[in-house]
Amino acid sequence: MTLPSASGPSFLEAKGLTREFDEGHVRALRGVDFSINEGEFIAITGPSGCGKSTLLQLLGSLDRPTSGTLLYRGISVPDHPDPAAYRAREVGFIFQAFHLLPTFTAAENVQIPMFEIDRSVSERRERAFELLKLVGLEKRLDHFPSKLSGGERQRVAIARSLANGPSLLLADEPTGNLDSENAHSVLELLIRLQQEQGRTMVLVTHDPTIADRAGRILRMKDGQVVSDGKP
Amino acid sequence: MTFFTVVLRGLWRRPLRTGLTLAGISIGIAAVVALVGMSRGFEKGWQVGLKARGTDIVVRNKTGGLTPKPFDASVRDRIANLPRIAATCNLLVQVTSVEDSDLMILSGREWGGFSWSNLELISGRMPSDATEEAAVLGQTAAEILRKKVGDPIQIETKELKVVGIVKGGALVEDGSVILALSLLQGIIGSPNQINAIDVRATPGTTEQQLAELTRQIQQLAPEVRALTVAEHLSHAEGFQLIKAMSWGTSLLAILVGVLGVMNTMLMTVFERTHEICVLLAVGWRRGRVMRMILYESALLGFFGGIVGVALGAVGVKVLTATPAIRGLLQPDLSPSLLGLSIVIAVAVGIMSGLYPAWRSSRLMPSLALQNG
Repeated sequence: MTLPSASGPSFLEAKGLTREFDEGHVRALRGVDFSINEGEFIAITGPSGCGKSTLLQLLGSLDRPTSGTLLYRGISVPDHPDPAAYRAREVGFIFQAFHLLPTFTAAENVQIPMFEIDRSVSERRERAFELLKLVGLEKRLDHFPSKLSGGERQRVAIARSLANGPSLLLADEPTGNLDSENAHSVLELLIRLQQEQGRTMVLVTHDPTIADRAGRILRMKDGQVVSDGKP
Repeated sequence: MTFFTVVLRGLWRRPLRTGLTLAGISIGIAAVVALVGMSRGFEKGWQVGLKARGTDIVVRNKTGGLTPKPFDASVRDRIANLPRIAATCNLLVQVTSVEDSDLMILSGREWGGFSWSNLELISGRMPSDATEEAAVLGQTAAEILRKKVGDPIQIETKELKVVGIVKGGALVEDGSVILALSLLQGIIGSPNQINAIDVRATPGTTEQQLAELTRQIQQLAPEVRALTVAEHLSHAEGFQLIKAMSWGTSLLAILVGVLGVMNTMLMTVFERTHEICVLLAVGWRRGRVMRMILYESALLGFFGGIVGVALGAVGVKVLTATPAIRGLLQPDLSPSLLGLSIVIAVAVGIMSGLYPAWRSSRLMPSLALQNG
């Protein structure tokens, strides 16, 4: 499961990562190689259907590659002994469509991932308050998603992604469903959190102005990384 | 927020559907409470009636039945002198229609036998002798038949006179029309025929000695069966049939409940596919998702059980007040039956939730990344 390395394992390392669908008729990823250091902010960009979201799914252990290796701190992600624990403790997801649970308030949505870690009810409540305060929603704790604006919903989703203190944030078009004003403030919030807390963030976008805010851009086309460098 | 809150919110998501499913389970459980409660009550009523008469052993035909087939009254002469037998009383009991009542217990008792002695007069008098064309009515029977002392009563082709109203210490006794054995034998044209002998043992007879006595009776009269009161009821084909019918009908109602809950929970899983995938994506284990669905269905069962028990209890009270049944049984709504009904309801919920829970656990978390 662990690849030897002279300077110790990378934070994330992919080699020959391939993902095929329909018995190989559709090749979403075709031998992707890259390595990510801890604390980096990386944008993955490219046209629709180039494999960005598929790659994000593999990074977050939501899906398994057809072949290739993907290591997180030297441990194989696809063969992780406890994928749920990896998703709960190491990864925070931010989705384009927010994906908040409609029957739960903002504070409750933030608490949802905390059920998988050892926290008491009051600790969960306090942590949710702390995180919603961090994203500027301390006055919206008891609001249901339907009563929140798009920007506010994405802030709740960001707070939820931070619930268990993950080291890796995976954001899939996080501003895609927002107007420009909200998109700007959500992006600024993400960058601030990434920088202040030193988390690694992988952000999928097809917006070059957003990608330019990252420290590094992986450009993809037809399931392959075609360039990897600074903006 | 606790895990239980999450489960409750899942149910509250579609209140109308949850309510309708709950109603489905409730009806199934109400059927269990009503049917089983009535069958148990019926059995218990006869048991109390026999106890009230002071009967320890019942001798009857080898075939079962609530009112078994008649046999010759001379059997009594062969067994009456056995040690530990204090008294015997020949009986001919029929459940039949009397005037406007479709179901009435007609109890012909040997004149002077101990089975008369528990009857307490409320009004009127007892028949003066075995030849008087008279009957006494249990108080409930008098109410149902709307008779008072001095009224005529038509038993088959014979018109008798109601000479007394009695209290018998048990529902079955109170719901009976009681008359002298010879009179009833004459009316139905079966002279010298009886269908039961009530046997009273000497005071201090132990259960073991009672069992021995039944064996002795059977040795002397192999054409009949001697049973203790409890055995008599558990062996009676009529009671077994009633029990089987009540459980059979209840099981059908429960099966409908199972299908209802399973349908609801499957719909829930299909509808919440995206939500479940989000839960998996944020780190919930498959086991926790399965637990969530199972707890939801178990909770549906539990609430359905509570409502069903209440519905069944009210329903059975209403049923037993109807003229067709009144006086024949006192429903047995014991805590054990009510508790068992709720346990059944929860089990129904859990069973119904197993497949949907399994389905939910097979979902791929990657679906969460698709817009929905």
